[in-house]
Amino acid sequence: MTRSVAIIMVGGPTKGTRFRPLSFNVAKPIFPLAGQPMVHHPIQACKKVPDLVHIYLVGFYEEKEFQLYVSALSTELKVPVRYLKEDKARGSAGGLSHFKDIIMEDDPDMLFVLNCDVCCSFPLAELQEAQRARGGLGTILVKKVSKEKAAEFGELVADPQTKELLHYTEKPETFVSDLINCGVYVFSSSLFDHISSVSTFKRDTASLKRASSFEVLATASTTRGSAAEFIRLDQDVLTPLAGKRQLYVYETLDFWEQIKTPGMALRCSGLYLAQYRRTNPGLLASGDGPGKAAIVGDVYVHPSAKIHPSAKLGPNVAVAANARIGAGVRLISCIILDDVEIKENACVMHSIVGWKSTIGRWSRVQGAGDYEAKLGITILGEDNVVEDEVVVVNCIVLPHKSLSRTVREEIIL
Amino acid sequence: MKALILVGGFGTRLRPLTLSVPKPLVDFANKPMILHQIEALKAAGTTEVVLAINYQPELMLGFLREFEAQLGVKIICSQETEPMGTAGPLALAREILDDGSGDPFFVLNSDVISEYPLKDMLEFHKAHNAEATIMVTKVEEPSKYGVVVYNEQTGNVDRFVEKPQIFVGNKINAGIYICQPAILDRIELRPTSIEKEVFPKVAADGKLFCMELPGFWMDVGQPKDYITGLQLYLESLRKRFPERLANGAHVTGNVLIDSTAEIGEGCLIGPDVSIGPGCHIEPGVRLSRCTILRGVRVKKHACITGSIIGWHSTVGQWARVENMTVLGEDVHMSDEVYSNGGVVLPHKEIKASILSPQIIM
Repeated sequence: MTRSVAIIMVGGPTKGTRFRPLSFNVAKPIFPLAGQPMVHHPIQACKKVPDLVHIYLVGFYEEKEFQLYVSALSTELKVPVRYLKEDKARGSAGGLSHFKDIIMEDDPDMLFVLNCDVCCSFPLAELQEAQRARGGLGTILVKKVSKEKAAEFGELVADPQTKELLHYTEKPETFVSDLINCGVYVFSSSLFDHISSVSTFKRDTASLKRASSFEVLATASTTRGSAAEFIRLDQDVLTPLAGKRQLYVYETLDFWEQIKTPGMALRCSGLYLAQYRRTNPGLLASGDGPGKAAIVGDVYVHPSAKIHPSAKLGPNVAVAANARIGAGVRLISCIILDDVEIKENACVMHSIVGWKSTIGRWSRVQGAGDYEAKLGITILGEDNVVEDEVVVVNCIVLPHKSLSRTVREEIIL
Repeated sequence: MKALILVGGFGTRLRPLTLSVPKPLVDFANKPMILHQIEALKAAGTTEVVLAINYQPELMLGFLREFEAQLGVKIICSQETEPMGTAGPLALAREILDDGSGDPFFVLNSDVISEYPLKDMLEFHKAHNAEATIMVTKVEEPSKYGVVVYNEQTGNVDRFVEKPQIFVGNKINAGIYICQPAILDRIELRPTSIEKEVFPKVAADGKLFCMELPGFWMDVGQPKDYITGLQLYLESLRKRFPERLANGAHVTGNVLIDSTAEIGEGCLIGPDVSIGPGCHIEPGVRLSRCTILRGVRVKKHACITGSIIGWHSTVGQWARVENMTVLGEDVHMSDEVYSNGGVVLPHKEIKASILSPQIIM
């Protein structure tokens, strides 16, 4: 019988600074997209892998940030979920290797490695099938994108017939390929052998240089792992294996985005809502029936949220627990977090409204809707108050602020 | 008594509203601007009004015919073939103004809104045996106007200083005059300025007096001042005719609502709002410091502040209109759109937000 385990790389608090001010309140992997924590979406995909026996989250957030979530999840999924906290940053492969003994406890023959901050349909079963068919060390999920976009990611060249990975380069200055690495992989368990051989090689090289190299000494003295221990999966382990009949690619034609910023979180929330429409329409709000608010497009409303029947929501709206949406409120393309109150006739568009915030009557919180621009959406941090009739356009507001006058294009500390 | 109203030209400063009607016919507080003046003149005993106009006189007259009968005032257009300045029109209308009775006549600028205490002014004029009397009003920034320097005890005018850069006084020419027919002898039939060429001569002869205007005064020739003028006008209505203002749970501050306008549930209207005839204000709408002209529909949950909405326009659901937005006639703003200071010419559809002040052609 075959066995798989999944490892989801969640990163740590020193990463994800671009996710401020939302990451002040919650670890980025727990931030809700389409009403579910970001990390929940890859986990849901893992559930569909028939021989999956264990899910590990690997990162360097404090344990307590994941405790509640992980324990609730294990019960729900009937697959054990465990958070493995790294003591220091070791790079993605270094982190995996550090927990090798735990990960290998179930004696799995396949390992899924997923980055938490990507948004896609995670076609893990297809990936597994491709891996089984071709063998080798592993299969990388890839996607074809525009030339301009490809430059921001790892670009891969694959043989069009055999799908073998021929060449891999990270963020090249000139165009190499329009296939990018999606940050979703499946490996045979021999991955660990490859990581340890890279580690040994690095250690040997480092000791050779030690006498003369200031660089190594300087690196070793920081909290980052020593140079030998810091091993990145893509650059250090996979890149050298390109063209050696070890790695293959599997191309997804479905959606894929990276979730670095709140703007992209809003976009990805919409992509996951659209996915519900295909996979789990019961999760989406319906506007049918008397006494129900009007719904346009894909909308998620937490069962504990209260929506006035004269409100109108959607498209791309996610309303979290205990939110209160008043009479005549209009919500378009937004994430409304827990305990938010939106008063009568207010309008929120292209925005994320932070926990416990209050939006006054006839006020308007709006972003331009450019998800990739710095001030392309409006973000209200925790416990913001927007007073009656105030307009907030293209702003980022840090927690605990009260806005009594109209603000535009500002970051409010 | 006779009167002359200086209407002038195209009213470009009040565009885009004046692209649809001549400026004197633009409603102010639910009444064409010029009617405010004609009514005040009528109340002060005027029987015949000359409009000095050089743009679309037929349109004006056609419109004013019904008011002629209604008010019992004869209205004549004195059409200028070229702009005649502020004094030239008096010479052009000489035959009418100087009817042989020796009675003085009024001269008003059409852009000005005030309480028009014309009777008091007439008494003042007669008591001082003046050749001409001008109203003056105190302003914060005299450097923007024509300042009148005069003797505060006698009211005798010394001189005029146009847009003074050094402070000479804070009383400015309010654009409301009473003149004896004799003044016409000082005016040639050519484009000329009453302030610069005529009054200084009268002042030199010691026959020019001025009276300080009680109450408010505003030149409402441009949108920003129009909105400020509405606030002052409604405040003055509150003192003089409070029964004309709207009351009720949905009203806050001074609000004028035409009896044919419909207001939905859960609206909050005011302060300083006028809503014209036939307007539909749907439920949950918020209006403050704005003018809604005839036949406008404001859809549910919209919010309008500090703006003018032109005739027969619509404002969509959850739209937000603010910061001196002026919608011309028959402009349609889509649902959820935001206008921050958009100035929109007539017959346009606005489907995307206007995030910073600009003109939409």
